[in-house]
Amino acid sequence: MTLLQQFILPRLLQWVIVIVVGITITFLIPRLSPVNPIQQALARLTQFQALEPEAVLQLKEQLMANYGLEGSIVEQYFRFWGNLLGGDLGPSFGAFPQRVNDMIGRALPFTVALLTFTTIMGWIIGIIVGTLAAYYPGRLTNLVAGVMIVVYPVPYFIIAFIFLMVFTYYIPFFPLIGVFRGEPFEAEFIATYLHSTFLPAVTLLITGLSFRFIMARALGTAELSSDHVQYATMAGLPDNRLMYSYVARNTMLPQVTDLGLSMGAIFSGTLITEAVFGYPGLGDLLLQAIYQADYNVVMGITLLSIVGIATASLIVDLSYPLVDPRVRYR
Amino acid sequence: MSPEAAASAGMEQARVNEEARNVVEAEGLKAWYITQAYGVERTVKAVDDLTLSIREGEIYGIAGESGCGKSTLLKALLGEIVSPLTIVGGKVEYEFDAGKIDALKQTAEDREAIRWRRVSYIPQGSMHVLNPVRRIRDTFHDFIAAHQETTREKSIEMARSYLQELGLREGVLGNYPHQLSGGMRQRVTIALATILTPRLIFADEPTTALDVVVQRGVIELLKEVQQRENSTLVLVTHDMGVHANLTNRVAVLYAGNLVEEADTSTIFRRPRHPYTRYLIESLPRMGDRSERVGIPGRPPALDNPPDGCRFHPRCPLATDICRQEVPPLLPVEGIGNGTGPPHRVACFHQVDAPLEAGEIEHATEMPHAD
Repeated sequence: MTLLQQFILPRLLQWVIVIVVGITITFLIPRLSPVNPIQQALARLTQFQALEPEAVLQLKEQLMANYGLEGSIVEQYFRFWGNLLGGDLGPSFGAFPQRVNDMIGRALPFTVALLTFTTIMGWIIGIIVGTLAAYYPGRLTNLVAGVMIVVYPVPYFIIAFIFLMVFTYYIPFFPLIGVFRGEPFEAEFIATYLHSTFLPAVTLLITGLSFRFIMARALGTAELSSDHVQYATMAGLPDNRLMYSYVARNTMLPQVTDLGLSMGAIFSGTLITEAVFGYPGLGDLLLQAIYQADYNVVMGITLLSIVGIATASLIVDLSYPLVDPRVRYR
Repeated sequence: MSPEAAASAGMEQARVNEEARNVVEAEGLKAWYITQAYGVERTVKAVDDLTLSIREGEIYGIAGESGCGKSTLLKALLGEIVSPLTIVGGKVEYEFDAGKIDALKQTAEDREAIRWRRVSYIPQGSMHVLNPVRRIRDTFHDFIAAHQETTREKSIEMARSYLQELGLREGVLGNYPHQLSGGMRQRVTIALATILTPRLIFADEPTTALDVVVQRGVIELLKEVQQRENSTLVLVTHDMGVHANLTNRVAVLYAGNLVEEADTSTIFRRPRHPYTRYLIESLPRMGDRSERVGIPGRPPALDNPPDGCRFHPRCPLATDICRQEVPPLLPVEGIGNGTGPPHRVACFHQVDAPLEAGEIEHATEMPHAD
């Protein structure tokens, strides 16, 4: 009961506040912008042909309704929330009359599958290798660390371009643009999926891994010099026990936090990697929406991102007591 | 309790077998910190040319000011040599039933075989020596399993009965370290260090950072642990009260050198080295309301110790010879009956008189060391 009151409820409240504030800002920003989207759209439509004034007026009203711009800003705000809670993100402007819900629904599984896999694999491998590197300093370790430190600051899209050139052009083994055939979970789909996803996955894995390695090695090295590890070493505890229960286990708190936040970021996609490899995920969708000034899609993906990151930090917060007994509440 | 009263109590409670063999022997031990930063080598001679032997079953105290090399000496005796600490010379040997063991050349296997089962260590400030994310019972299991075949159930049962024997609440086994008080953590650490009944226990400032009431309990516990198996306890502390209370013999360290070594009552009643006399004089006494005088000056920096006797800049009795020659640590003649270890002093101007209050501080004007 006190756990619920002192720990869970405040965090749930915090979660709600973050989401409401985030969404309100997303709602306000386009409306505060000096660019009037109706005039923009009308200008686009009347660029090549003159329309009758009545048709223009009708079109304008129709657009106002579509954009949700009818009435005062307060009315708009409540209508916006009404639609949102009804699960309706409105129509796409770029691909009218498709619904934003459907477009995001199609792209989401691709992004979530790719990023969940690469984030979790990078996390696990990075922590294992990084902790080993902290525990066994030496020539091999320095070599691995050197490679990771060189790779880490290279922007991931540079790595993506290198892979793209080498493995689709010089050695044309992988497709230049993602090709997905067949229905989900059929053999053909799985084969084409793996084929098309390999390069973006490796790119993301390398960058994620190098960061995780550097973090795990730094945390592990710091932990090694702590009193409790030195005492246990003095007592002759075996290496595997020391490394697992005394070093790696104690570096988990920041690592779990960071994993949670990375998982939250999954819902914003990876703009450039997806664009480079023509991978039909949220990042690719977002990029196209930005090109086409497709506000509803941009807004939809932003909302998803806000909810994703807020939820991830909520889960991280709630899982702290499991990771570190010192955070456990009475 | 005044130090002297405590010293006589200590004398009576544990008479060490006169023919006891030496468990630890250190000879010409030089343990220096050698660091190199930007091509500049810096050497701190924390323990310099030190010879001592510790007999089986005794409580051997190592006393001295902060920074005099007490903890370094303990590390060297323990064979825990981690860079930048370097053994420049000398040797340390343990002697158990299985013959002599070179403490300074322990491999990982030796460590597994010797540590905790034969030689154990109680660290200073047990605030952080217990893994903060592990329950006490799991830590006990880890430490036991490192040295003998066991299961988790067996280890926990062992820990439970040992804590009971020592009069500690067994409920702590289910706790995390942060849930225990400082005194309890220190007691748990003592139990953790001694659960495998080691013959030789090194304790580094085990009562420092605890309030006096808790200190008392911890001292009692140390005494109990030592007497259970008649183990040898080597106790490092700057607290002369603890030495008076607990030890059989005391070695006084000054600036990396052993300056005086004798049985506890001699150290407190008839110390011969001016430094020891200062150290004892500075202790408060029951009923004596006069102001206590500290030792003038400061201990020397160990990267550049003074020539000759390292105490000479602070010593009221210093003469030319003290400034030029290092006084050898020699047994005092005509003292003792020849069976126990001798009273050893390293001083050219030993004071052969019982300690009287207010004696030394008025002896002469103090030259202040820079």
